[in-house]
Amino acid sequence: MIKIKGVTKTFGVGADRVNALTPVDMHIEKGEFIAIVGPSGCGKSTLLRLIAGLEDVTDGSIDLGSKDKKRPVGFVFQDAVLLPWKTVAENIRFPLDTSAVPRSVSDAKVAELIALIGLTGFERALPKQLSGGMRQRAAIARALADDPPILLMDEPFSAVDLLTRETLNDELLKIWEQTGKTIVLVTHSVEEAAYLGTRVMVMSARPGRLRKTFKADIPQPRSEETKRDPRYLDLVSELRTMMREPVL
Amino acid sequence: MLLRGLLGLVGFVALWSAAIPLFGVPDHVLPSPLEVVERLGFLYDHGNLLMHIEVTLIEIFWGFTIGLVLGVLFAVIFARVPFLERISTPLILLLQTAPKIAIAPLLLLWLGLGAAPKVVLVAIVTFFPVMTAMLTGIKYVNKSYIDLADVLKLNSWQRFLYIEFPSAIPTLFAGATVATTLAMTAAVIGELMGANKGIGFLLATGQEDADTATVIAMVILLSAIGWAFYALLDYLRVRMEDRYS
Ligand SMILES: Nc1ncnc2c1ncn2[C@@H]1O[C@H](COP(=O)(O)OP(=O)(O)OP(=O)(O)O)[C@@H](O)[C@H]1O
Ligand SMILES: [Mg+2]
Repeated sequence: MIKIKGVTKTFGVGADRVNALTPVDMHIEKGEFIAIVGPSGCGKSTLLRLIAGLEDVTDGSIDLGSKDKKRPVGFVFQDAVLLPWKTVAENIRFPLDTSAVPRSVSDAKVAELIALIGLTGFERALPKQLSGGMRQRAAIARALADDPPILLMDEPFSAVDLLTRETLNDELLKIWEQTGKTIVLVTHSVEEAAYLGTRVMVMSARPGRLRKTFKADIPQPRSEETKRDPRYLDLVSELRTMMREPVL
Repeated sequence: MLLRGLLGLVGFVALWSAAIPLFGVPDHVLPSPLEVVERLGFLYDHGNLLMHIEVTLIEIFWGFTIGLVLGVLFAVIFARVPFLERISTPLILLLQTAPKIAIAPLLLLWLGLGAAPKVVLVAIVTFFPVMTAMLTGIKYVNKSYIDLADVLKLNSWQRFLYIEFPSAIPTLFAGATVATTLAMTAAVIGELMGANKGIGFLLATGQEDADTATVIAMVILLSAIGWAFYALLDYLRVRMEDRYS
């Protein structure tokens, strides 16, 4: 469970000060799939980076409830961030190689992940030989490699075409169902948020804050059917309305 | 590419040949291409030309290798221990801006007329561009890779080995490519100032004997070697850029 208590974040000092995040409180249960939407600059990436420990909170606290784990989170960056000099398999194995996991174990894990993520046959390819969607798959596999309980994803599919994106969404749901991970995903698409999330959090900008949380009461498992479900359509329209109306 | 280069060369030689009768240039000012080629042949047969070429190549090879290794080593040390970089920056800037060729006489005084002072001079001029390039490459590593390292909680040695070093390789080779020209110049200057072997020595002898054909032959030889050296490193640079970025 992730407990975020009164977390604020300001960047810069003096005249350059930016209040990226005003107090945010949220509790995320284990195994939840949280989707975060909001306009550009509302602090979505900042919130994710704070959870990941990539930035330090200005105020408040974040408890990931897994102090014993060396790496409690896996992070999927917007632009994959695969190391260009490593092959796909080496990139996926990287978290294991850097925590002294023996090769016999890590190779088996990588083979499993490559099959799970649908990159069979591309083990020895270099990232630049892959399409954007394939790079994102590899990045997801890498984030899963050392089995972190929490998966953070910052607009992971924003650079892939719509059809690939829908396929990747389904694959992500499959992974979520199979692994029971807690996932926090940032997206610009309200449809994606409603389709994937168990809860959808809407943030607003200037100052960045959490505006409202919607419970996505849409049956699991989600599939093509879901997109015709009135509850899904209602949520999408509610989210869209909220995103459009001016913040008071 | 090669064909166009060859065409340019042929044109140049043709102009050179034509200019001599056209302007009535005396032989001691500008010998004909044929004479230069003949002089090369003569030096090959009777002047131990290959030995001289070998001497120069060996000086460049060792000097360049030593400069390269030390440059990388110091960059790595400076990157790992910023305190050392801070205290050595003024000294390094001073050494970097000083005309390094000016220390050639000093090296000759200390190390004699053999290969040693040339090797040292080549190493010195190679060191700076390589060290600077490597250090820049390590320091300006892509921010996203740092994020990845942070998420994976890599220790500083892992960061260096798996992320900073590999991502600095293209920059390193760019620096090394720049260094080739400097290395060539340093070797020849060292030989010009005092040597009894090497291409620079033949060049100096030609000058003393007012033997224009020999001087031109040596200049052409040096250009060819310099070009090949540059082309080799540039090729490696492109390969590395392809692999590491
Ligand atoms: N390192 C930083 N230094 C200074 N300001 C920053 C920094 N990172 C983010 N900010 C500021 O914080 C605010 C929130 O940025 P953030 O990247 O979290 O927004 P976002 O919701 O992810 O936007 P987008 O949808 O465009 O990705 C912005 O105003 C941004 O300019
Ligand atoms: Mg963002």
